[in-house]
Amino acid sequence: MLELVFLIPLFAGIMATFLPVKLGRIILVIAALLHVQLTGMCWLKISAPMFDAYFRATPEGTLVLLVTSFIFLFISIYSVSYMKETEMENEHVFIGCMLFFLAAMSMVTLADHLIVLWIAIEATTLVSAPLIFVHRSKEALEATWKYVLICSVGIALALLGSFFITLSMDIGKVDVPLSFSALQAVAASLDQVWLKAGFVFVVIGYGTKMGLAPMHTWLPDAHSESPSPASALLSGALLNCAFLGVYKTHTLLYAAGLGAYSSNVLIVFGLLSMAVAAVFIMNQTDYKRMLAYSSIENMGIIAFGIAIGGLGTYGAMLHLIHHSLIKSSLFLSSGNILLGYGTKLIRNTGNMAKLLPKTFFAFFAGFAGISGFPPFGIFVSELLIIIGAFRSGRLVSITIFIFCLILIFAGAARLVMRMSFAQHDNDILVQEKFLRILPSYALLLTSAVLCVWLPESLYQTIINAITAIGGGLNG
Amino acid sequence: MIQLSDAILSLVLLSVLLSLSSNRLVGLVRIMAFQGVLVSLVPLFLDQQHGIGAGSILFLQIMILIKGILIPGFMYIALNKVKIRTEVEPFVGYNASLFTGLAFIVISAYITEQLNISLPGGHALLLITAITTMASGLFLLMARRKAITQVIGYLMMENGIYLVGAALAKESHTQYVVEFGVLLDLLVGVMIMGIVLHNINSAFDDVDTALLGRLKD
Repeated sequence: MLELVFLIPLFAGIMATFLPVKLGRIILVIAALLHVQLTGMCWLKISAPMFDAYFRATPEGTLVLLVTSFIFLFISIYSVSYMKETEMENEHVFIGCMLFFLAAMSMVTLADHLIVLWIAIEATTLVSAPLIFVHRSKEALEATWKYVLICSVGIALALLGSFFITLSMDIGKVDVPLSFSALQAVAASLDQVWLKAGFVFVVIGYGTKMGLAPMHTWLPDAHSESPSPASALLSGALLNCAFLGVYKTHTLLYAAGLGAYSSNVLIVFGLLSMAVAAVFIMNQTDYKRMLAYSSIENMGIIAFGIAIGGLGTYGAMLHLIHHSLIKSSLFLSSGNILLGYGTKLIRNTGNMAKLLPKTFFAFFAGFAGISGFPPFGIFVSELLIIIGAFRSGRLVSITIFIFCLILIFAGAARLVMRMSFAQHDNDILVQEKFLRILPSYALLLTSAVLCVWLPESLYQTIINAITAIGGGLNG
Repeated sequence: MIQLSDAILSLVLLSVLLSLSSNRLVGLVRIMAFQGVLVSLVPLFLDQQHGIGAGSILFLQIMILIKGILIPGFMYIALNKVKIRTEVEPFVGYNASLFTGLAFIVISAYITEQLNISLPGGHALLLITAITTMASGLFLLMARRKAITQVIGYLMMENGIYLVGAALAKESHTQYVVEFGVLLDLLVGVMIMGIVLHNINSAFDDVDTALLGRLKD
């Protein structure tokens, strides 16, 4: 029964909300382990969906599910140690919402019905809101308010987009279930005008959630104000889920012969996101906001890569995997830095190389990884996207793309250098602990390993996911 | 029966205009309850050929319960905990807002004319109402300062989108499980917004979103 993938975390979440905190922490880790197993069963195609009108294990869905499940496991281990160090008033709510969040995201990855996908994505907003405002500071309240309102309004537009796609079915006199897989087969007879209109609204709607500029305004606030494990989840898992909504609709348009149109829309949003990130990362004063803008940049890269097709699409899927691994590792390290220095401001940190050596290594390696240095996977994925763009002859876009990458690297490098090596006289508040170091290293190591050795089944799944939009190694 | 559905839609339009010109927050919540019930009733009067099944009657009741009672009730509770009763100094004044609302109706009528799609039973008014409600909701969201009015704007936008769905989608696509999921999301969303609202009020002593300006780049 495929639906167990999101039902188990749901029940675990309910249990954790009402049981004592110590038990809740154990439930969190156990549920994460169970989820990995269930994902494995889904991956091996052992489990079949019970409600096959609404759920289905698609290659792109299982890919995102695998990434989500994998990073959640390490984040849950980190959270247990992190929560011991920080005073949290409603820790059982925090644990419960982490699990609900996992449930909602898993539901997104499996959803096949247009409206069920919408319900699941909106649910991710609702259950992650308490994670952001758990500290109840004024800033956290502001971030939560922006997050809930901007995302809800944005996602409401995606619902409108889904209705337009339904209308394109009616006008095209097609009578099939309202699911992506069914629509895919009859895409050619859908009404093109309404399909295009639907796509624009879906991109604006889910794009808000994915962090595409100019709808990204909630993202830096939410990522910087939430506790680090929640930031890592938001950045590493949630953005992918929203991307999945955009990707599935893009696939639908491609099948309907409107691939060029939807690609152009995605390229514009992608490049705009990168440019916005480049501008705002330059003089950033807060290191968690810096990482948040880097997420906006990377979502832009993924949207761009998907849009150029061929090799670029393969690169974009690799980028999705490696961005999740490296960015969640970076956010987890930033949690250690926050505990150590007690501030999010870059100017109050410094000399991390001496004071927090293990965290420094993870953070610096993560920074190198996210900037596209080997041995981490983003090196490969960005290279493939650039080659793909050259092959398809999009020279202007790729110039902007490379220019933004350089700007972001230059801007962020200055800040990271300052944090790592600048003079700092005060002592460290909370020392590093093994359980808060291990997850960062494990995630980085996975990225490095996947860079040199990609398992056959993973490779095959990526190829299966992208052949629908003409992607592939020879494209 | 066609006249009855048109009457309901006219009432929805009226509630939209009322909400744009209202400055009392309690009044706004009442208007939303009224609008919620009306919007829930619309599908009942639209589709006469197929008849009304047991499922749709049940769903109708759930929808009235959520849109007409639970959500406004929750807003009312949130409002009671907040001291502020009226919207002070909105970004756009009430007369200007009302005028914008009227302009939305004209524009929606033009758009509906241009789209020229076959609506169930030829209800041109349905699409006009839907677009106006949606646009006014978005407008309210941007033109008002109090967080509570913004939530009402969001609700109005949802109502508009629901009407678009009712206007455009055929009956055959309607699956109550799915629609119930959408409603549930809306309900939980408003509850979470209410909780955040309450916390904003106790932290800042006001629910003015102009106070929310600490996080900047």
